[in-house]
Amino acid sequence: MRILIVEDEPDLLASLAQALREEGYAVDTADNGDDGLFNAEGTDYDAIILDVMLPGIDGWEILKRLRKTKKTPVLMLTARDQTRDRVKGLDTGADDYVVKPFDLEEVFARLRAIIRRSANKTTNLIEIGDVKIDTAARNIFLKDKPVEITAREYALVEFLALHRGEVVTRTQLYEHLFDENESSLSNLLDVHVSNVRKKLGAEFIATRRGHGYCIE
Amino acid sequence: MKIFKSIKWRLQIWYGLILVVVLAGFGITAYQLERNRQFRQVDDELHRRFGVLANALHRPPPRRQDADQQSFDRPPPDQLSNDGPPGRSFRQPTEFHLPEQDAHFFDASDPNNFYFTIITRDGRELGGSTNQPTPIGEPAQETSSYSHPVNHVDQAFSVSKFNGNFPKPNKVTSFGNHRETVEMLPSGEIIVVGCSIAPEFKELQRTAVNLTAIGSLILVVGLVGGWWLVSRAIKPINEISATAVKISAGDLSQRINVAEAESELGQLAAVLNSTFARLESAFAQQKQFASDAAHELRTPVSVILTQTQTSLNRERDAASYKQTVEACQRAAQRMRKLIESLLALARFDAGQEILKRQQFDFSKTISDCAELVSPLSDERGVKISIEAEPVEIIGDSERLAQVVTNLLTNAIQYNNPDGEVRVKLESQNGLAVLTVADTGQGIAAENLPQVFGRFFRADSSRTGAGNSGLGLAITKAIVEAHGGTIEVASEENAGTTFTVRLPISA
Repeated sequence: MRILIVEDEPDLLASLAQALREEGYAVDTADNGDDGLFNAEGTDYDAIILDVMLPGIDGWEILKRLRKTKKTPVLMLTARDQTRDRVKGLDTGADDYVVKPFDLEEVFARLRAIIRRSANKTTNLIEIGDVKIDTAARNIFLKDKPVEITAREYALVEFLALHRGEVVTRTQLYEHLFDENESSLSNLLDVHVSNVRKKLGAEFIATRRGHGYCIE
Repeated sequence: MKIFKSIKWRLQIWYGLILVVVLAGFGITAYQLERNRQFRQVDDELHRRFGVLANALHRPPPRRQDADQQSFDRPPPDQLSNDGPPGRSFRQPTEFHLPEQDAHFFDASDPNNFYFTIITRDGRELGGSTNQPTPIGEPAQETSSYSHPVNHVDQAFSVSKFNGNFPKPNKVTSFGNHRETVEMLPSGEIIVVGCSIAPEFKELQRTAVNLTAIGSLILVVGLVGGWWLVSRAIKPINEISATAVKISAGDLSQRINVAEAESELGQLAAVLNSTFARLESAFAQQKQFASDAAHELRTPVSVILTQTQTSLNRERDAASYKQTVEACQRAAQRMRKLIESLLALARFDAGQEILKRQQFDFSKTISDCAELVSPLSDERGVKISIEAEPVEIIGDSERLAQVVTNLLTNAIQYNNPDGEVRVKLESQNGLAVLTVADTGQGIAAENLPQVFGRFFRADSSRTGAGNSGLGLAITKAIVEAHGGTIEVASEENAGTTFTVRLPISA
């Protein structure tokens, strides 16, 4: 899962980014509205965390312009908890909002929720054959036994599971699993795929030659 | 008693009382007048009949000629025999018979009609009508009861003329249901004329009943009308108090409906409404201020929360913890600055900020401040030029230094790189005039009036830059506490100029 955070307070931005990376997300950051909009329009993020008060273009404006081209789920961070601010955010196209000061756990939960909703899933549990994926706890079970899995491998499984039945291209996977700071070494993805197959069974991820990967 | 505390009830009771008194006064007067009128009427009749009798008594009676015709007028035989022994050696007639032409004055058929008795000086009854009430017939009482009036009349008649026209008897008395006049003629006969006034009493009673009924009706109408009037008059008061109740319950947007702006209550309502409006705007301002202050605190608190929560998620190395602690420190510093600013503003608002008053050279303060902000101006590549003549002013040098620092910092922060800040201090008409002009992007005209407002930022971007949005508000508060003024002029993309005027000998 690849996330964009647009937030102008450097300390907040840094800690949010760090926390999300540790949760297994690929995180891009922007500390002003212009960069934020540029990134949001240029990349298919799985979700965007967007502060309202920003230098340059503010959060509302970014949301408005982004909604013309993309349906990326957006979680607004707002320091105003008045109803009209929240209504404005939701009406402009935000998927959810968190009022500052917030708890990280809440941000994580809301983030998962908007990603899940954008994939048309209503629960945290995805079942594929013998494999169960708990997207809240970020655990994978094979025949009800927990499977040891790295954060990046989990992200790969989750992304493919959320797009079950679709062929996901390697480019897409790179875009969603790695952030802009990671060099997209082409064999890194193959390593992750092969590790997942070892842990969950060779048939779990199917390869479509010349196209990408797929979970049937 | 709650009733006596209500204005409505008190008014009602008061004019109820007044109405009762007035009505009673009118009623009693009307009754008296009616009574007097009735009695005067009776008295007039009595006098008329007295005159008739007096005339008849002294007119030479056409005795023989009319005797047969007169017979009907004669008192019945038993009465005649009662007349007592005739034959006194008097000039006067021994008997009196009512002449026929006067008979209609004393119709004896009804006991309520007029009656008369004529008594001679020595107490003999000369004649009378048959319908006299019984007391008159008793001689013993007769003398005693009439002695006084007779004496009295004696004197009265000595003065009055008795010639052709009847004298006016001056004594009419009532006893029981009767009214009588008793007069002595100069010739010595005493004439008693009386009548029953029972019908008059009956009529007076009816009048009294009528008056009471009319009075009660007026009282009821008055009370009902008064109640209506008072209710109407009090209605605006009720409206005012209802509105006030709603306002005190927290709904400050309530206003009194001023329908009658001309009346005293309408004016009161208008005054109250304007007070409510000011209250509401003051509350709204306060609310906005509190919400802005809370908003300003949210970001640093968010920083501390996310920093610490991230940091505590797992074991980390010392450098990572140090970073977290440093970030928390920055956030705390920011909050401290904000809290200090808020407190300063609150003190200025409450007039509690105590200014140290001492004489100092303001130009020196300016150069000190310029030096203080020089790291910032160097960093931004902004040049500061100072043109200050020495001006001694009296005031709080620390607070005024804060004013200069705030203005300089603003001028640097909102300047373009390689811009310029021109500071000028001069003395004009007893005022120290400080101008700080920058060559920055300027402030949009529509934002100018809010520049000194709390938490105003021309650009919402500056949140993170350690700029609380309170700097200019505090600057203004300090200047005004010194009795000075601060103005701003700005041209977009050309620059902004702040002008501070301070009284030199404040």
